[in-house]
Amino acid sequence: MSKQFKIISTILLGLSFIQPTNAGPIDNLERERSRVLSHILNKDISILERNQLVKKSKMKLLDLERMVINDRDISNNPDYHTRKAFDNFDLTFLVHTSLEKEKSISITWLESLGLTTNNLMSTRVSRK
Amino acid sequence: MDKVKLNLLIIVISSLFYSKISIANSTSGEWKPQIIEKMYILPPKQLNKVLNNDFNSSILALNLQNTDSKIKSKIKKINDLKIMLPDLSQEDKMEINHQIIVNKRDYIKEMNDLLNMKKQKLNTKKNFFIRIEKKLKNKKIVNKNFSKFEEDKKNAIKRSKSLDFKILEDTSSDFTKKSKYFEQYQSNNKAIKKLELAIKNHPMNKQNILVKNPQNKLEAVQNFIQSIDAEIAVLDMKEQIISYMAKIVALDAMSLAESITLVDNSNENDMKNYNDPINAIEFFTN
Repeated sequence: MSKQFKIISTILLGLSFIQPTNAGPIDNLERERSRVLSHILNKDISILERNQLVKKSKMKLLDLERMVINDRDISNNPDYHTRKAFDNFDLTFLVHTSLEKEKSISITWLESLGLTTNNLMSTRVSRK
Repeated sequence: MDKVKLNLLIIVISSLFYSKISIANSTSGEWKPQIIEKMYILPPKQLNKVLNNDFNSSILALNLQNTDSKIKSKIKKINDLKIMLPDLSQEDKMEINHQIIVNKRDYIKEMNDLLNMKKQKLNTKKNFFIRIEKKLKNKKIVNKNFSKFEEDKKNAIKRSKSLDFKILEDTSSDFTKKSKYFEQYQSNNKAIKKLELAIKNHPMNKQNILVKNPQNKLEAVQNFIQSIDAEIAVLDMKEQIISYMAKIVALDAMSLAESITLVDNSNENDMKNYNDPINAIEFFTN
């Protein structure tokens, strides 16, 4: 009985520390960005389908990127994720970077990770 | 004559303790600056103007004006009494001298009140600027901590702005179906750019370097505090002058009291003392 009580009280105490979080523009951007990336990495769809899905999300992603960049409240005590997001502009703001580089979103993202055609071609399969 | 003596005694006693009591007196009204937080971003020169306007509408300012006019009337009265002096008899002269001393005492009291009020004004102003100085210093520390993030954000805004035109001119089918936010962003952005240009070209903005440089703003606020301190130091010296004036009035009152006593004694000497039988001989011999 006392063990059960301890467990319940610990859970309740733990719950009391959890505060409700409001999704800010950066969370919305992250969600949309991950959706686009999942389309890019989805092997079960055709290239045409992939292009259409990415194209469909591009406008929304651009809007969200603009919202985050122009958000004046974001500077008030930014958390670790926000700082990281702005630190890695090329990876966070994919539409902006792709427009800058005049390349597609998928190529921009892969290049930002260092996965270029040359890099991939220079690799070889080996067994250690 | 006894009444005059009593008055002079009061003046002497009050004047001797004047310099010590006077500084503690602070029933001259209050001034609490009613400046809203947003005004703090104003450049120090403008902030000082706003602060002065705020003071002018306070009770302290009203009391300051009243005391100032009282002092002027006292000075006028003292001058008028001094002009009257040469043509008067001995006794009237003493009475006028007494009036002069009373007016001088009142003048010192009013002047002391005035200095206290001025000091109160300067101290309030100084505290206000000290508060701003603290805020600026805190802001500087906070800015230092967030400088990396701020720099990243600035770069992001810069990069985004440089792409605005490119996105608008983009003829690819990606942005043909524009969202509601996209449309509003474009129109608002145009308006913001227009306003930014107007601010940039505004003559007052060109003059004011302080807004752009918080370090300069901090220095300007510190200069204000320094000048207020200088004014307070001058007031301290004036207080010392007032205390010397009070001492002179006390000495004048003492000398007047002494001369009144001498006159009284000489009058008494002129009158024969009939308590002595020698003075009463004539009553018996004639």
